[in-house]
Amino acid sequence: MNAILPILFVLVFLVLYFYFSLKKREKEIFKEREEATRRLYELAILKELGERVGYSLNVEEILQIITGSLRQFIDYTAVGYIVMAPEKLKVNIYIEKPINHIFLGEMKERMIASLSALTEKSLESVVLDEVVSGAIVVDELKQKIGSIFNIPIVISGMVVGVLSVAHTNVGLYKEEDMTILYKITAQASEAVSRLQEVVKMEKGKLNAMVESMEDGVLMVDTEYRIVVANPAIKKIIKFGGNKEINIFDFVDSLGGKFDIHGRLEESLVNKKSFVSERINIDESFFEIGVYPVLHSQTKGGDQILGAVVVFNDITHDIELEKVREEFTGMIVHELRSPLDNIKKIMELAVSETIDKNSDQFREYLNMVHQSSSSMLELVNDILDLSKLQAGKFEVNKEKANIREIIENRISFYKISANVKKIFLEASLNNNLPELTEFDPQAVKQILNNFLSNALKFTSPKGSILVSAFVYDPKEFFPKDLDRSKVSVFPEVTDINVKTASLCVVVSDTGIGIPRDSLKDLFHTFKQAKLSPVDKESKGTGLGLVIAKGIVEAHDGTIGVASKEGVGTSFYFTIPL
Amino acid sequence: MKKILVIDDDQFFCKTLEAALPAGKYAFVSAEDGEVGLEKLRSEKPDLVILDLMLPKLDGTAFLKKLQESTDLPKVPILVSSNLSSVKKISDVMTMGAIGYVIKSDESLESIVQDIERVLGEEGKKV
Repeated sequence: MNAILPILFVLVFLVLYFYFSLKKREKEIFKEREEATRRLYELAILKELGERVGYSLNVEEILQIITGSLRQFIDYTAVGYIVMAPEKLKVNIYIEKPINHIFLGEMKERMIASLSALTEKSLESVVLDEVVSGAIVVDELKQKIGSIFNIPIVISGMVVGVLSVAHTNVGLYKEEDMTILYKITAQASEAVSRLQEVVKMEKGKLNAMVESMEDGVLMVDTEYRIVVANPAIKKIIKFGGNKEINIFDFVDSLGGKFDIHGRLEESLVNKKSFVSERINIDESFFEIGVYPVLHSQTKGGDQILGAVVVFNDITHDIELEKVREEFTGMIVHELRSPLDNIKKIMELAVSETIDKNSDQFREYLNMVHQSSSSMLELVNDILDLSKLQAGKFEVNKEKANIREIIENRISFYKISANVKKIFLEASLNNNLPELTEFDPQAVKQILNNFLSNALKFTSPKGSILVSAFVYDPKEFFPKDLDRSKVSVFPEVTDINVKTASLCVVVSDTGIGIPRDSLKDLFHTFKQAKLSPVDKESKGTGLGLVIAKGIVEAHDGTIGVASKEGVGTSFYFTIPL
Repeated sequence: MKKILVIDDDQFFCKTLEAALPAGKYAFVSAEDGEVGLEKLRSEKPDLVILDLMLPKLDGTAFLKKLQESTDLPKVPILVSSNLSSVKKISDVMTMGAIGYVIKSDESLESIVQDIERVLGEEGKKV
């Protein structure tokens, strides 16, 4: 019996030991399970938040999602948030179980106090924009706040609000609950901060773009407040100084030229775009476009955010159009005049008042000949020009002798030079090769143009000199050139060739070309406004454009050196 | 004898017009650019000016403008004859005081001569 007692004692002890160990284990398991559940909740909530927050930039929207999901893992009587908005505080409280006014008032006070402490701002006099939803407020209830905790909401390093959870029971919220909520808000805040960074950067890019745009850009919101006005638009309406720009600055400046307010109203109300006719402001012309700015929402339908006005400067286009019109007009005129002359001469010739053997009749025939020649010349020029513009201008290179070609042209122009008492001669350098590769017909055409121009603009007793030589940039510029008869001759800096080239220069002692006309000489639609010394000479300026095309087809360069009142030298080079 | 001043750089037009006018009825003077035209307007005191528009030195439009602004230049009827045919150009010139506009290539010498005779005839009636 004595032996049984200790055994029994040991047995009881063992049973008790196991029982308590089991209990303890059970408790631990329970705790672990609770912990696991909490973690699962945490994960689930974070995931849900991630999905629901998406790319929202609206802090309030995110807070609503957080407070809405909260009841899944925290018990509370009321949950709410407070965020700072311009000139007011937005308060939103959701009541889970009925509470009284004291509870509600105290919760609000605590939230504001917390936000005030975090932001170090006095928020006592700020207007509150309150929304209370959920269960009813019953004053008969006798309860006070038992537990409350506040989580700061931080966006881009700035406290913008507070999230608050409150319960009537005392000591309910533990460290873990707060940690989870803190984590959740931190994650949401971080997402918003990141998005805001991206938006800020994009906005920066957009701003820089709008600022640097040559077109004037103005954007207004639905209340006609100016959101964007770039420097170009301020310049257009001559807005200076540092004061705030407003819509009336535009209305006043544009006056009767453009009803900016009316067009904006149309755009904001009817969501319609508008582009104006050309509008003249000072020296410039604009096309003004007014477009609604719409934000397409996922729920469908567009929300109007404002309207944008773009002042498109079309001054340059109009100038170009004018130049083109003038050019076309000139060509039509130049074609019509000789043709009409032929018609009128024939009218006289057939009127039978003139003796067919008289000098007058012969003069008429001569006039018809001249008119038809000048017209043919112009038609050929126009055909060449259109080939050049279409990139179909071809040169037929062959071995040719430049000396022969120049001498041939000199003898051709000698007759008219003699009539005008102009001294015309060639200066052909010894370094010229016997044969060179180029298109002899095309080079003749250039020489014709250079020589006829020189004859047009040189007075009697003047001189014209055609020089030809080879210039190799690796060697010296030829020194044995005869420049005694002409006063303007291209220098080494003018004839800027990279390889050894054949250079042909036609120099005259004519009226010269003004400096500002020089650069336009080789461009279509422009002709230096010069008065030929001889009133019968006229021109379209096409010859030089064609000459440039021919030279470029030979991979050469074309240029001019001129001094007003002294003389001019046109030259071209063809690489050997 | 009525005197006609033709301001035109197109020598052929001047010559054919002169030949087309009835012989011995009119005195014919020509000027090859706007500036010479102004000088001859003063010195020759013509009864009619036939003015081209595309002219060297002083073009036809500038010539008309000078005439409008001037107080001492003689008031003479101006008949514009040009190959420019844009409606805008014609209306511009007409508002600047020209009494008529002839598009050269659209008219025969005969009809231009008729225009001249009509204008000079009407002017004659006024006096």
